[in-house]
Amino acid sequence: MSTKGTRIPDWLKVPFAGITPGPSQDKGQNLFPTGNWRSIRPVYRDKLPPCNNACGTNEKIQGYLDLVKRGKYLDAYALIKEDMPFPSVTGRVCYHPCEQACNRGKYDEAISIRAVERFLGDLGQSLKHDVVEAGPSNGKKVAVVGSGPAGHSAAYQLARIGYKVTILEKSSKAGGLNRGGIPDWVLPQHILDREIERLIELGIAIKTNCEVGKDVSWDDLKRDYDACVLAIGLTEPNGVRAEGEDKEGVLYGLPFLRDIGMGTSKVKLGPRVAVIGGGNTAIDCAREALRQGAIEVTMITVEANTDEMPCSPEDLHDMLEEGVDLWHGRALTAVLGAGKVETLQLHPARFSGAINASPITINRNVPAERFAVDNVIIAVGQRASIDWLPQEFKNERGTIKIDRFGRLGDTNFFAAGDIAQFGSGQPLMVVNAVGDGKRVAFNLDKALRGEPLQPRTVAVDVIMDLNRMNMTYFPHFPRAHQSMLSPVTRRKTQVEVIQGFSEKQASEEAGRCFSCGTCNACDNCYLVCPEPCIARPERSNGLYKILVDYCKGCRVCIEECPTGCLEGVPELDFDTGVVRMDTAFAISPGLHGRQAEELLNLASRPAKDI
Amino acid sequence: MATFEVERQILPILGSPNQGARFYNPELPSSEPFVPGHRTCAGCGPSIQYRMTSKAAGDNTILIGPTGCMYVANSSYLCTPYNVPWAHTQIGSAGSFTAGVAAAYEAMIRKGKWKGPFPNIICEAGDGSASDIGLASISGALYRNHDCLIICYDNEQYANTGIQASSRTPYGGMTTFSPPGPEVPEGKKLFPKDLARMMAAGHPHCYVATASVGYPIDLMNKVRKGLNHRGAAYLMIYTPCQKGFVYETPRSIDLGRMVVECGLYPIWEWNPERRVYDYSFRPQNMRPVSEYLKLQGRFGHLHAEHIATLQQFANDQWKMMGVELPDALIWAADPQNQMHMAAAAEAEEVADTI
Repeated sequence: MSTKGTRIPDWLKVPFAGITPGPSQDKGQNLFPTGNWRSIRPVYRDKLPPCNNACGTNEKIQGYLDLVKRGKYLDAYALIKEDMPFPSVTGRVCYHPCEQACNRGKYDEAISIRAVERFLGDLGQSLKHDVVEAGPSNGKKVAVVGSGPAGHSAAYQLARIGYKVTILEKSSKAGGLNRGGIPDWVLPQHILDREIERLIELGIAIKTNCEVGKDVSWDDLKRDYDACVLAIGLTEPNGVRAEGEDKEGVLYGLPFLRDIGMGTSKVKLGPRVAVIGGGNTAIDCAREALRQGAIEVTMITVEANTDEMPCSPEDLHDMLEEGVDLWHGRALTAVLGAGKVETLQLHPARFSGAINASPITINRNVPAERFAVDNVIIAVGQRASIDWLPQEFKNERGTIKIDRFGRLGDTNFFAAGDIAQFGSGQPLMVVNAVGDGKRVAFNLDKALRGEPLQPRTVAVDVIMDLNRMNMTYFPHFPRAHQSMLSPVTRRKTQVEVIQGFSEKQASEEAGRCFSCGTCNACDNCYLVCPEPCIARPERSNGLYKILVDYCKGCRVCIEECPTGCLEGVPELDFDTGVVRMDTAFAISPGLHGRQAEELLNLASRPAKDI
Repeated sequence: MATFEVERQILPILGSPNQGARFYNPELPSSEPFVPGHRTCAGCGPSIQYRMTSKAAGDNTILIGPTGCMYVANSSYLCTPYNVPWAHTQIGSAGSFTAGVAAAYEAMIRKGKWKGPFPNIICEAGDGSASDIGLASISGALYRNHDCLIICYDNEQYANTGIQASSRTPYGGMTTFSPPGPEVPEGKKLFPKDLARMMAAGHPHCYVATASVGYPIDLMNKVRKGLNHRGAAYLMIYTPCQKGFVYETPRSIDLGRMVVECGLYPIWEWNPERRVYDYSFRPQNMRPVSEYLKLQGRFGHLHAEHIATLQQFANDQWKMMGVELPDALIWAADPQNQMHMAAAAEAEEVADTI
């Protein structure tokens, strides 16, 4: 019987108080440490959510969604900025591999992660001072060649470490592919301008109109800087090797977009435009062509259907909504016309390999189709322009030869972004370039400090699977959708097509996150434990502790953990890092021993003490 | 008689656990009157219930435990895990002892010998005490409307003596007193006593409700409502018993949800002011009883007609709650559409190998 709160007569006090220690809230009834019944121990182990794993730069997506849920927007923005220098840009343009990987997508609909990222990015844009500061200066100078996503990311990370960074940009405006490859109606220029201002606020110098190989040489870079990151990207458009490709009216995808983005475009499109290619750039070109005055736009791809096209399905859907025609299974074999494009000659074609980057087989035995157009835009990929690079650092793919750390031989030159990832199996997307820039920046820092480098591909831990989570706790809930301009109004203007989330939408959408494999302080384990042997000093992520002296190993907490953060570890077969219980067997001699001694001594004590 | 002031504790009602799509429990009280270091089985349902109840009640609480698991397993060698005053009573005298404690506090307050708020007096009786042996005394305490809360933690059998049938044991449940055999293939032939409804009908001035450990916040709120109610309150709470039901220990909370979802344990409240039942509680989904039965070894002997009988019983409960039955449940109440337990288990194994 507990003695707390009970008035015990004096004559009962000594033997009873000695035998029956009262329990306490922090220690429990320590006469019965029941932990030695257990064969399986619950252990909290945070696992990698699939979104974090899928993200090209491994943003802590689950982490910032959890902060948004709790209304801590500024903390969430600071967390995103660890891996991503411009969430306002990727929140608009990213092809969101995170949403494809989202476990909720297998349950009802994936979380609209990109829209929440954009909400946070826009919040960051409105801040007077950014949350990120330059690191303490270490006196070393680094040049970053190119100000596209990879260069931006590398410069940002190096400045945070403490390097004096100079960006060399060959165009008149910084931004690289972010400015020249992405149309205004996806990413307004002022958003990007603000993000570049943030770089200057970090103390980064940007030299525009400075092209390597023309204004600066390889030896200049080597002499003037301690190290250099080459993030030059793939700048030259590929052709389709068709006859008459040099005729007037034939345009190439990336230069077409780049000139419009830089404000130097002199192109006047005719009413009928054909776009060759089935990737994201081709889609952007087709939609931009409508906005540049074309009336009928037709997209011609080699892929046999939409599923095979290497593009974002959402963008494809939006393009078709705007009224672009889509033709499959044809290749451009000749551009016909007297001095100017008048007709295209098309033949049936398919990819001869399994993947769509493989060579194309054109069937020339059937009669060619003729297709009358005023302009044709060819957007079938890009290649690098690296004539200025020493021959020893060129590889057979026409890009830079690097080792698995992103380094050129044993020089202090590193390469990042599309130029390094082309042909490596990685998608050539903004977020992947950002991730590459980040990892290469860290490697550069390690190289200058003489530490071992990290491979550019990240080692993967356990990725949380939907089957290990408890879906009882998650009612079905529809995804919040971003509002869009209607196809009729948007196809003629440069106004942004997709609108951002309101605060309410963002927090509601973040609330749908399962927090796969990661503790989010839902308190469920704490509430359902029968002992109760789950303690927490305060309610916060990952501060839960299991009192191993008492846990009987019933595993109710593991079963009821909504996120699957808890897992069972066999008690006799520990992984490393799990500490064997230390007191369950050892506590009894102490306490019982003391009581036995007290009882033995009873007889010798004077009666009035008892 | 002169009137006297009694200071009462009013416990706030906890918010909903789900905020939009997000699962997040409300802020729980920090006090812990039930601490670890007790010797109930791993995954014990009554123990989960005891913890939630005492957490909801807070520190100014007196617990009364008639003989049952929560006395036998928890207070050996005069050591208890109760961090508040606790007393054991005879199994038959749960109600009279509780009434005595409540009356004593009233008297002490009247005479000025007790300063401070009236304590929460909670009697936690097992279903053996509440539905069989101590029924009379509990009925008496409720009838005289002492300010106390009497809880029946319903594990559907006498568990601490080694699984004997009580009047709450469900139809078909195997216990040592209701073994299945050639003469009585279903094990227990009688349907369980409808204890909570009996208390509501017989003592309409009391707050009466049923709850399940599968819905912790609902359970804690009902405890608080019962304690806030001036006068006697009665709760019947479903608490799975791992030894008696024969299931895997991690399923304790899951069973508490399933029993409600399959309609065998309707959750309702009796409103003493308006004298009506409140059937507004709805589980997330509805299931056939076989999904609940197949998790438990005590139903392993059932034949198709027995499962159909239990489904019919569940359907009647749903109808009584005013829930429209989906066709699948009506279909499942026909014995021809059921498989007996062993065959169902075999079929599942075959399905797994395919």
